[in-house]
Amino acid sequence: MSEQDPSEVFRIEARELLEQIEQGLLDLAGRLGDRELVDAVFRGLHTLKGSGAMFGFDALAAFTHHCETAFDRVRKGQAPATPALIAAVLDAQGHMRALVEDPGGAGDGEALLAALHAAVEAGEGAPAAPAPAAASRWRVAFSLPEDALINGTNPLALLAELRELGACEVVASTGACPPFEALDPTRCHLSWTVELTGQVAKSDIEDVFIFVMDDMTLAIEPLSGDAPAEAETPLPAADAAPAAAAEDAAPRPQPAGEARRTEQTLRVGAERLDELMDRVGELVIAQSRLKQIASQSPDAALRSVSEEVERLASELRDTMMVVRMVPISNLFGRFRRLVHDLGRETGKSIELVTEGETTELDKTIIERLADPLIHVVRNSADHGLETAEERLQAGKPAAGRIVLSARHAGADVVITVSDDGRGIDRARVRARAESQGLLAPGAQVSDAELLQLIFQPGFSTAAKVTSLSGRGVGMDVVKRTVEGLRGVIEVASTPGQGSQVSLRIPLTLAIIDGLLVRVGRGRYVIPLSAVEECVELSPEQDLRSTGRCLVSLRDRFVPYLRLREVFATGAPPDPHQKLVVVSTGEARVGLVVDQIVGDHQTVIKSLTRLHADVEMFSGATILGDGGVALILDVPHLVETGQQQERRLAAAG
Amino acid sequence: MTAQVLTVDDSASIRQAIKIALTAAGYAVAEAADGAEGLKKAEAGGFDLIITDLNMPVMDGLTMIQELRKRQALAGVPIVFLTTESDEGARQQAKAAGATGWMTKPFEPEQLVRVAKKVLGR
Amino acid sequence: MSQTQAHGPAAEAGEIEMLTFELQGEAFALEADLVREILDLVPETEVPGAAPFVPAVINFRGKVIPVADLRLAFGLERAATTLDSRIVVIELELDGDPTLIGLRADRVHEVARVDLGAAEAPPAIGMRWRQDYVRRVARRGAEPLIVPDLDCIFAARGAAGAVVTPLRPNA
Repeated sequence: MSEQDPSEVFRIEARELLEQIEQGLLDLAGRLGDRELVDAVFRGLHTLKGSGAMFGFDALAAFTHHCETAFDRVRKGQAPATPALIAAVLDAQGHMRALVEDPGGAGDGEALLAALHAAVEAGEGAPAAPAPAAASRWRVAFSLPEDALINGTNPLALLAELRELGACEVVASTGACPPFEALDPTRCHLSWTVELTGQVAKSDIEDVFIFVMDDMTLAIEPLSGDAPAEAETPLPAADAAPAAAAEDAAPRPQPAGEARRTEQTLRVGAERLDELMDRVGELVIAQSRLKQIASQSPDAALRSVSEEVERLASELRDTMMVVRMVPISNLFGRFRRLVHDLGRETGKSIELVTEGETTELDKTIIERLADPLIHVVRNSADHGLETAEERLQAGKPAAGRIVLSARHAGADVVITVSDDGRGIDRARVRARAESQGLLAPGAQVSDAELLQLIFQPGFSTAAKVTSLSGRGVGMDVVKRTVEGLRGVIEVASTPGQGSQVSLRIPLTLAIIDGLLVRVGRGRYVIPLSAVEECVELSPEQDLRSTGRCLVSLRDRFVPYLRLREVFATGAPPDPHQKLVVVSTGEARVGLVVDQIVGDHQTVIKSLTRLHADVEMFSGATILGDGGVALILDVPHLVETGQQQERRLAAAG
Repeated sequence: MTAQVLTVDDSASIRQAIKIALTAAGYAVAEAADGAEGLKKAEAGGFDLIITDLNMPVMDGLTMIQELRKRQALAGVPIVFLTTESDEGARQQAKAAGATGWMTKPFEPEQLVRVAKKVLGR
Repeated sequence: MSQTQAHGPAAEAGEIEMLTFELQGEAFALEADLVREILDLVPETEVPGAAPFVPAVINFRGKVIPVADLRLAFGLERAATTLDSRIVVIELELDGDPTLIGLRADRVHEVARVDLGAAEAPPAIGMRWRQDYVRRVARRGAEPLIVPDLDCIFAARGAAGAVVTPLRPNA
């Protein structure tokens, strides 16, 4: 078994539970009368309390216990679920989170509990659903399977439990007992009839027998008449102690009717997955070396095995991709709370709509996208959406709408944050860009280019930086993060109608199919997904265009970059240069290389911080011979190509 | 007379948690780390209650329960197994093997004590 | 993995095991604790557009790690590689992340116990190098042993800082 720290195991579970509780509460906020949601939240609190106690998180267990008790009254119908109550529990949940992460330092949450109790009391004026009916007399007739005694069931203990519920008259029946000579004392032949008088529900009686329920006979009937008239009608606000005691008397089995999705799932630590991923990566590298050796060997058996290994490695790699894929719903789930809070803080009414929650992404990508997306959403809420009055005046619904959507597009995932707010004010962007020196006054730029300026470092059109969006996570960081994932970020906006920010991220992170090329003495990998075509660059084409680096391809001009110049290799070019045309979907550029070596499936290794500023490369990979090849960052090169082209066009 | 409880679980922290909870309630608790050890200690006799996990190395809980029930001398000793809420199948199997009752994980100390009292009658 | 050395007065006292190596004839030392491996020269892959301080990368046990040239930080000239040249792979915390870095060395000497307590703080004047790049100046025999402040150098990305301060400033 693992040597995992039990506290850490608990923490992981607790975080998940708190997540579920939060989602449940947020759902409940929209559907206050939904019993199932109330039950679900209650169960979450209950489980959290139990686990917490078991692993020594006493402060958490104690605090959660209070919340659970308060919420229990809602569950029993003794207090209605109100927005104030939901808000109070949400706040308390924040405290619970703190108690999980830092048990000592979180304070005692007294204020939170007080608010919680106030919220519960406040709701209780209204008549609540009646407390569970407590008939007071029952006849309980039961018999046990013959092997019950051998299997450790103790009838006397069962009877003792019944006695705890109320006064009992017990009659045992020996009718089924065999004659004495044939009697095996280890087998149970007795049955019992018990008349029970007490403030108990049928389910309380059934609880006594839960362990033997499946194999026994049990008949419970209410007996009418003789109901003690003096029994006080339990007040809704009264101490729910007896009911609570009866309920807690035994571990309650789940109601049979409850639909439970029993998925076969296995919890695997994230680090184990990463290790596994690394092993697969190393396997891909070794397999690539094997392929190289085999391709040069006359040994047919070796070649055959090498192909087999290649196929297996490819399948393994595909499986790994799937294993690490997680639906984005988890990430989107976090935004519900965020938008809820944003609404409260800005005083704006904000509606969050999510689409494509089942879209799956590599786990690590989701983690890295969390903060950038949060920033974009905050931006929309803070700057994009207008206040309710402004919106009404503009003829829009009072509630602003933010739509979070995710979908697959080819080999990419596209995540979009759109709002129906006031759109991006071009004039303000321009003014800001000019004042920051990002744009020469009067310079002509396209609308798209103007909007892209938002992503420049140091740019912020907010007149004041609010606590929500001005956290040091600027749009430039968002762009860098997206590009660090080899993705592209785009923004579109219609004044008065709204804006959309789109993040397009390639699906596979760690292993890519690339085109291996040589420039000078160095080898480089170009992501195959970006490669459109490869052509030979004839010497005439090369020489002719000393003024402009443009090549004509089927009636279109494509700017090109001589990589040996870009890389300053200092080496003379090979006689037959090759042109690799790459694109980012919209724009293209040709890359001139000395040699195209071939397809190369490879594991991406990140470059360290020390090389993070080299924008031309997005990573590195280890080749079959142990050497290192740098992976070209296509968006950046395309951008460089465009800039160069503009300069040359302006000059010539 | 103090009731003797044997807790069988490969997780030291679970055994610890059980021991603390039950000792506080007045029981005496012995431990075993897997089914084989549990079987051996149980055979030595003297236990009024056995609490066991199902997933253990060397010998799993289900097999241990089956073996325990084969021994005449251990007839009638209540055996409680630990299970997760959704594992209907395991519960049926364990009961068929001769277990007396179960506790769903995670459980609070009070729940554990209540179950112990329930099956022991004391 | 061992933690990075605490750099503070308390850590300066006492003897520490240090790896001594040579760059351009000058003797340097760094905590042996930081060293992961010493490699004979391996093929380096140049990184176009990288800062001169980290001109290349190498394959180290399946990871791609940068090769750093401390000569640049200390304003020394690049020498040609010889049979004695080595790459000392260290693990250093950069911005909170443990990072493997290969340091070029002309020659690697032994691991020796160096009494940092007895070493001097770099003098304010008279040094050829940026004062903040040098943690201590110890002695090995008669020769000075420079203990570079790796954290500082890497934080500054080895920006060349050679300012020659004359010994006798003109009044």
